[in-house]
Amino acid sequence: MTVSTDPGAAADAAAPPETRRARGPIWAAVLALVLGVALGIGIGLSIPHFTKPGDDSVEAGFLRDMSTHHAQAVEMSMIAHQKSDDAEIVYVANDIALTQHGQIGYMQAWLRDWGLSPTGSQKPMAWMPNSAGSVVNGLMPGMATPEQLTKLRAASGKELNTEFLTLMRQHHLGGIHMAQEAVKLSDNKDIDWIAESMVQSQQTELGLIDDLLKKVQAS
Amino acid sequence: MSMSTPGPERVPSSVKVTKTSGQGKPPTSAGSTPGRKPGAKGPAGKGGGKGRKPVTPVKVAGGRNWGPIAVAGVVVLVAVGIIGYGVYAAVQGSRDWQDKASEIAGVVNYRKQNNAAINDQSHKQGQLQYVTSPPVGGAHNATPQNCSGDVYDAPIANEHAVHSLEHGAVWITYKQGLAADQVNVLKSKVEGQDYTMMSPYAGLDKNVSVQVWGFQYKTDDVNDPKIDQFIKDTRLVSALEPGVSCSGGNTTTGPLQAAGNGTVMNK
Repeated sequence: MTVSTDPGAAADAAAPPETRRARGPIWAAVLALVLGVALGIGIGLSIPHFTKPGDDSVEAGFLRDMSTHHAQAVEMSMIAHQKSDDAEIVYVANDIALTQHGQIGYMQAWLRDWGLSPTGSQKPMAWMPNSAGSVVNGLMPGMATPEQLTKLRAASGKELNTEFLTLMRQHHLGGIHMAQEAVKLSDNKDIDWIAESMVQSQQTELGLIDDLLKKVQAS
Repeated sequence: MSMSTPGPERVPSSVKVTKTSGQGKPPTSAGSTPGRKPGAKGPAGKGGGKGRKPVTPVKVAGGRNWGPIAVAGVVVLVAVGIIGYGVYAAVQGSRDWQDKASEIAGVVNYRKQNNAAINDQSHKQGQLQYVTSPPVGGAHNATPQNCSGDVYDAPIANEHAVHSLEHGAVWITYKQGLAADQVNVLKSKVEGQDYTMMSPYAGLDKNVSVQVWGFQYKTDDVNDPKIDQFIKDTRLVSALEPGVSCSGGNTTTGPLQAAGNGTVMNK
């Protein structure tokens, strides 16, 4: 820096242009430094927003909707767990309630990680193409109606067992459909992991539910 | 992003290259290369700095600096834009739901008031008194009211409902006797929606009152878009006990005495 100003002072006639020219490299270096820092900060701040799913993404829609869908499975399972007289049904209800409530925890945590609200501005199922009409009275595929839930709560004995297994069978079919679509539509490894595990475990459970349903109806 | 990353690297490196070439080639009036702007810039600055014939290069340098400056300027603008967006997105993303809810005109933020009667989270059995109507917080019964999109057609006990608010539920209440088509509008906001519930409310001063723990919005218009905004901004996130479900609660209606689900009435 001192080097460049000295010659400027020495050459009397050309002093002003000298200093102007001499400061060019300094200015460029400072600018480059500022730019480098600025770009670094900018990129650092922005990258997470481009790599994380957005508010209207398939991923966010799936997590929000599946959380609600799961919540009803927990609800129905808790009723069966509390009221069923069949040990096998009590066990499967316990399994479904704990598994799905645990999965809700994962799904809500990811939304939080992504800086997204658990609630979205899109309608239920909007993330899934051709899903128009699959939501009836706010209920996603496979979900039980309030009337069915009321009936389940009031039921006991064989009626309760049959009702629970029938509703849960329907619920799983809807859930599997949604999870399969999520696997197809999303490349996010977390989404694929949880959706695939839902498809796998609920299909296995469907076999068990069908067996139990036959047994209950034969009793 | 990857496109702009090398940008700032190129700017300083090109300057360095010109510096060294400038030192290597002392400028003569014939030797300067007018065609290459970045090449000419360096020799002008550095060569002049060594105290050699300053006159000729001055004009060249003055005229040719504009190219790099323009490039640098564009890069600065891009960088500022990226930083601006990054900061904006980060700030928006981390905005608290309480700020969003408070900004809805007409929403009352009771959390801000630090009212001990509203902040009380203790479990007390039997009938309880609340300082707001409908209540937005306070001591409550041990059993919550079921809030998995439950639509109740008769008033429910405050003592159960407040417990649901603690779990993050949005409770929509409406004036008893509200027209059926208006009730249906509200119903569509609740059905199939976890962490919501709805019931008529005796003696409500407006047609609709929507509340979560510590926040309340009242309106006479069931189609008021602020109802949806309120639900979106507060549902689930308003939970004081995050992760607790809305299922397994009381599903009966009527005042506390009529809630025949085994609620103990001792003090």
